[in-house]
Amino acid sequence: MNQSDQNEFVNSIQSKFQNSSVEFDTLKIEVDSHSWIDTHKTLKAEFNLKFFNWLSAVDWDNDVKIGDAPKEPVTPSFEIISCLSKTNSDDLVISSTKISKEDPQIDSLVEVFGGANWHEREAYEMFGINFLNHPNLKKLYLPDAYEGNPLLKSFELISREVKPWPGDVDVEGMPEDNIVVSEEGS
Amino acid sequence: MAQTMDPNNMPILSEASVSVEIETEDMTLNIGPQHPSTHGVLRLVAKINGEKISSVEPVLGYMHRGYEKLAEVRTYPQVTTLVNRIDWVSGFANEIPFIAGAEKLMEIEVPERAQYIRLILTEMARISSHFVFNGAFPLEIGALTPIFLAMEDRERVLDLLESVTGGRFHPNFNRIGGVKPAAGAGPTTKKDIQDLPAGFYHDTKVAMQKVLEAVDRFEDLIGGNEVFQIRTKNVGVLPKEVAEEYGVSGPILRASGVEFDLRKQSNYLPYDKFDFEIPIGENGDCFDRWSVRTSEMRESAKIILQAIDDMPSGPIQAKVPKVIKVPKGQTYVRAENPKGEMGYYIISEGGLGPYRLKIRTASFSNISILPIMLEGALLPDLIAIMGSLDFVLGDVDR
Repeated sequence: MNQSDQNEFVNSIQSKFQNSSVEFDTLKIEVDSHSWIDTHKTLKAEFNLKFFNWLSAVDWDNDVKIGDAPKEPVTPSFEIISCLSKTNSDDLVISSTKISKEDPQIDSLVEVFGGANWHEREAYEMFGINFLNHPNLKKLYLPDAYEGNPLLKSFELISREVKPWPGDVDVEGMPEDNIVVSEEGS
Repeated sequence: MAQTMDPNNMPILSEASVSVEIETEDMTLNIGPQHPSTHGVLRLVAKINGEKISSVEPVLGYMHRGYEKLAEVRTYPQVTTLVNRIDWVSGFANEIPFIAGAEKLMEIEVPERAQYIRLILTEMARISSHFVFNGAFPLEIGALTPIFLAMEDRERVLDLLESVTGGRFHPNFNRIGGVKPAAGAGPTTKKDIQDLPAGFYHDTKVAMQKVLEAVDRFEDLIGGNEVFQIRTKNVGVLPKEVAEEYGVSGPILRASGVEFDLRKQSNYLPYDKFDFEIPIGENGDCFDRWSVRTSEMRESAKIILQAIDDMPSGPIQAKVPKVIKVPKGQTYVRAENPKGEMGYYIISEGGLGPYRLKIRTASFSNISILPIMLEGALLPDLIAIMGSLDFVLGDVDR
């Protein structure tokens, strides 16, 4: 894959989609949630991106129960991310759209890419996002009676509540964090 | 009645047919979660009509460990221990895209020697994974011998992996910016780091010759077996358009005639320096999937032999800060793993661990095709089709 081919592809995507960026060799386009299906139809038909790679979601929230919160405050929302690629070159496109957390719903991609089926079921159980017109929207991994959506930032890890992670010791206590280790009493 | 049967005049049983059609209700057959041919704990709810499968619904989640959530509460170096356990048959290969993604976000240039060591060990993981396939797949459709040969041959490769990394299945050998000093290399000082154990080049050359011999033997023993051919040829044909739509990747996609291999198309490791071919199938049936993987082992052995001869000298670790903090950014890095495309979408918010880590595994997409492939297939073919997909449940459920 030579550089000029890659740039040509990036340029053609960027001229079609205004809200696009290349960050760390990853081409990402941001679209409105209403044009989610149309975007994928265009990418499939006009740009030959026929390989449905994956689909997932991100929970953007400042109130993080476990793990690191974002450094700068974010607007709470769900970001749906999908990845389409080609089977004759390294070109790929990450599409993303943001939906509100109050009423998380978006059109299902199954009619465009059959492969979206399981990915959307996973996003449904992990984030509670409702995919409209999905043929079989039920839990994929978790038991039917399971309550809660584990990948939400508000979801706590019970095992960590019971016993804090011993690995924390390695991370704290480094000189950079200005923690003075007391040597008294030795 | 005591007639001797003339062997030239025996009735051919397979040509006998029953012309009466009896309509029966579909029967539900529950296969798994604990069934030897499911490589773990996959459950299939099959509706069958006689010997014919009318529909299949895979039920996942028996191996779900929630790695995407666990990664959010770990630091970047700690995540590598998790990703080792996704596809445990080729643990080393799982580390590569994650580490490469973190390095890309930190803008670290990895020394060439470290890249070569990564490449050699990745190809060893591929050979060991395909050995397991060459043992398990014939076993599932009734050939008992190959598994014993494959396990013995695989052991030589695992010994090499162990001599370098210290682990047979979960090496946890990559560091952000390079690789560890080898486990079997003896005491090291800061000035003189021994990165590979003594005799590694020689042992590798010997082992790769054995691998090449083993591939020849398997092609004869398995591929030349008439029963194996009847069970796999024209069984479970997967058209490439369907494979692409469902994100089916790796040897399965190549068996359907698509020449796509990230080792050639992408640049996550210096594969462009070596001369190797991408085996392609014609029909996309179970036999092609077996044959593509088996030919791949030969190519992997060729790559390793070239890399050994071409090994650059130099450091194995780039300069990295003592506390790994990945700057804010998002990237998707993918690699050609033995099972197919594996990638990590890393969203970093500048913390010690990822804000969100999406793990794209090959087996998940590869078995999402099962309901389509099995519809209308015969029940005995179910085992052949499932075996030919070569999935690992840890790679499906994550």
